Amino acid sequence: MRDSDRKLYLASLTDRLVKGQMGRRDFLRLAGKLGLGAGALGMGMHRGPFNFVPSAAAQEALQPSADILKWVADAGKPFAGTTLKLATESTPPSNALNSQLKKYFEEASGIKVEIEVLPLEQVLQKLTLDVASSLGTYDLYYIDQSWAASFSQDVFDPREQLQKTDLAMPNYNIDDFLPALVDGIAMYDGRMVGVPYDIPIFIMIYRKDIYDELGLKAPATMAELASNSKAIMDAKGPAMAGIAGQMKSGHYSLECEWTSMLWGHGGSIFNPDKKFVGNDEAGLEAMAYWTELKKSMPAGVDGWTWDGQGQAVAQGVAASMLSWGEFFPYFDDPSQTKISGLCEVAVPPAATSLRTKDQTAFGETPGVGHQGGSTLAVSKYSKSPDAAWVFMQWATCADTQSLITALGGGTGPTRTSVYDDPRVKANARVGAGTTRHLPVVRETIAKHMGSEPDLPEWAQISSDTIPVSLGKYFAGGYGSAKEAMDDIATQVDTILKG
Amino acid sequence: MNQSAFARTTRTIAGWAVVGLFFFPIYFWTSVAFRNAKDIFNWPPIFFDFQPTVRNFEQVFGISLGFDFGNQEAVTPGGGNFYMAPRLWDSIVVASLSTVLAIAVATLASYALSRMAFRGRHQFVSWVLSTRMMPPVAVAIPMFFIFKQFNLLDTYTGVILVHALMNLPLAVLLLKSFFDDIPAEIDESALLDGASRWTIFRRIVLPMAKGGIAATAVLCFIFSWTEFLFVLTLTQTGLKTVPVVSSTFVTSIGTAWGNMAALGAAAIVPAFIVILLVQRHLVRGLTMGSLKQ
Repeated sequence: MRDSDRKLYLASLTDRLVKGQMGRRDFLRLAGKLGLGAGALGMGMHRGPFNFVPSAAAQEALQPSADILKWVADAGKPFAGTTLKLATESTPPSNALNSQLKKYFEEASGIKVEIEVLPLEQVLQKLTLDVASSLGTYDLYYIDQSWAASFSQDVFDPREQLQKTDLAMPNYNIDDFLPALVDGIAMYDGRMVGVPYDIPIFIMIYRKDIYDELGLKAPATMAELASNSKAIMDAKGPAMAGIAGQMKSGHYSLECEWTSMLWGHGGSIFNPDKKFVGNDEAGLEAMAYWTELKKSMPAGVDGWTWDGQGQAVAQGVAASMLSWGEFFPYFDDPSQTKISGLCEVAVPPAATSLRTKDQTAFGETPGVGHQGGSTLAVSKYSKSPDAAWVFMQWATCADTQSLITALGGGTGPTRTSVYDDPRVKANARVGAGTTRHLPVVRETIAKHMGSEPDLPEWAQISSDTIPVSLGKYFAGGYGSAKEAMDDIATQVDTILKG
Repeated sequence: MNQSAFARTTRTIAGWAVVGLFFFPIYFWTSVAFRNAKDIFNWPPIFFDFQPTVRNFEQVFGISLGFDFGNQEAVTPGGGNFYMAPRLWDSIVVASLSTVLAIAVATLASYALSRMAFRGRHQFVSWVLSTRMMPPVAVAIPMFFIFKQFNLLDTYTGVILVHALMNLPLAVLLLKSFFDDIPAEIDESALLDGASRWTIFRRIVLPMAKGGIAATAVLCFIFSWTEFLFVLTLTQTGLKTVPVVSSTFVTSIGTAWGNMAALGAAAIVPAFIVILLVQRHLVRGLTMGSLKQ
């Protein structure tokens, strides 16, 4: 039996044991046939404070490849004793690396890795300070896609780093990263600003039980999204709303939702002349649609970021959301929510019409599946760039990325091969850390992904200018959507003129 | 004056209502720490009828408490991403030592300002006050560069120093007012009897100002315990205090409210103990100087 099949079979056994579909005796018998009897027995018999059969068994199956660790040991040897620092947002991949995987790298290489996990705004503050001081307090940068332009000159292009053959990981295969993500997250002005590290993306998440009860189907168009949401609101509201939004005034999440609506109605943020065109006919159509859709959302949605939006679905306050796919494993976790197994996923509704990339500027790519995500890159100011490069290759190679997806709660992979990895596929069932939504995530990336423009001023425009004005519009601060969008256009023009 | 039963009852009810008003947020926050995630955001809200769990505490402190409420799951081996016990210790060390340092320097400085006449004394007091007028963020960034130069970034020494410096102006001004309330004639009598300034300070004035020192120390401790910006800017992975790590419960897939509440509830305890220890002096200190003869 191949190693990957063996792991897949063991993961499947573990899953059945966790779900109570198999007794421990049968589990041990079958695990024993895989040559894991003694280990599994040990796990089952010793129940100290930190021992738990399922996680221990899962860890047996989910360990880094010996070949990869051998390369880490060889490549990392000259840098043993070095300490690397990385500041990152608290995302599933970073948390899986920090708490479960980096120990393997440290043991093999002798390089110590300190990962500082922070909210996104604080990561930006830390990186800005590091770049401004050129002190190299961090060796690796976690770069949100909206900052790519700002930090593009402060990190090494991984394609150039791969030229150092003595430090290049065999079969690292940079072409394995999903091309759409490389283009949407990592590329700026011909430079590759790190490699894609994680990919939250908008997909359709809906309560299958509610949809079935009301005879609805997953929305295939924006019009169906609105009509489905209204039908649920009419039948179940106000206790349960049709759809949850992320519409907190002044918060980046509001801008994310807006782009999805805008792109979904044939609009774009910029035209080829680099002028803001969110106030054109398509933009206003999107605003009218969104304003109407908001009537099918729960009260209080104006105060919610994606956090509140996710909670609304998790608590059964709303029956659907067009939002980040990485929430789905959380919904499926019976220890976290009351809706485990009740949600299904679908690709985002088709846009009424869609502008092409040529009809926009700054690399903006319209698509209802708003793409977030980040890259991982080695800082140019690092005192140990080679050691950081060794770590970065290990952290973003296919093997580690598969482990991150399996251990990190079903987060969306950025490499093609990871979607097909048996360890990842083994988790495609209802329950914590499910990966059953990943085929939809993959299809959304390939066919429905929308990418924000890349320009140095984008962080300010996306996190302040647009969400503050949109918040003001929904609070009644403008006479009309046209007035609001015209005001945003004026502000954006002023910012771009410097 | 005899009070009617009605007045007494009304007063008792009003008293309990006020206590309830202040106690309820603490109760609710603490109860969140004992809830499973799915029991936190119920609508209508649940205040008492939930299945308790210690899992949030187990995750935050990286230990297994061994309780079994029916659906107890094991903690992540070796502590997961929300393992924050060392950060509570960091907070205790930073708040305690920075308070000791601030009080040690401030008592000497404020005694001198209270008792000794020297040129520019009043201007000096104004200058001390003016250091509190600058927005902390304006100080934090230059401080980052200075600390990096002196290898103080991400160290206990650095954070203790900056918290002591942050609290010093307030401590000096408060303690000066407490020392001012102690009649200078006592010092003069002791001087006539041959006591040195140091003896007067240590043997006479300091014991008389115990209440004021306790009140000032509590304020310094609380300010350090809750300070966010300097710790965020001047630390990385070496140490962090509770307010800064509390923000790390905000993740890209939502906020871990249960874990945050567990750390928050646990973080109340040390501050509460400090206040209990100095409670006797605290009330006296806080009311010191409120009445003039």
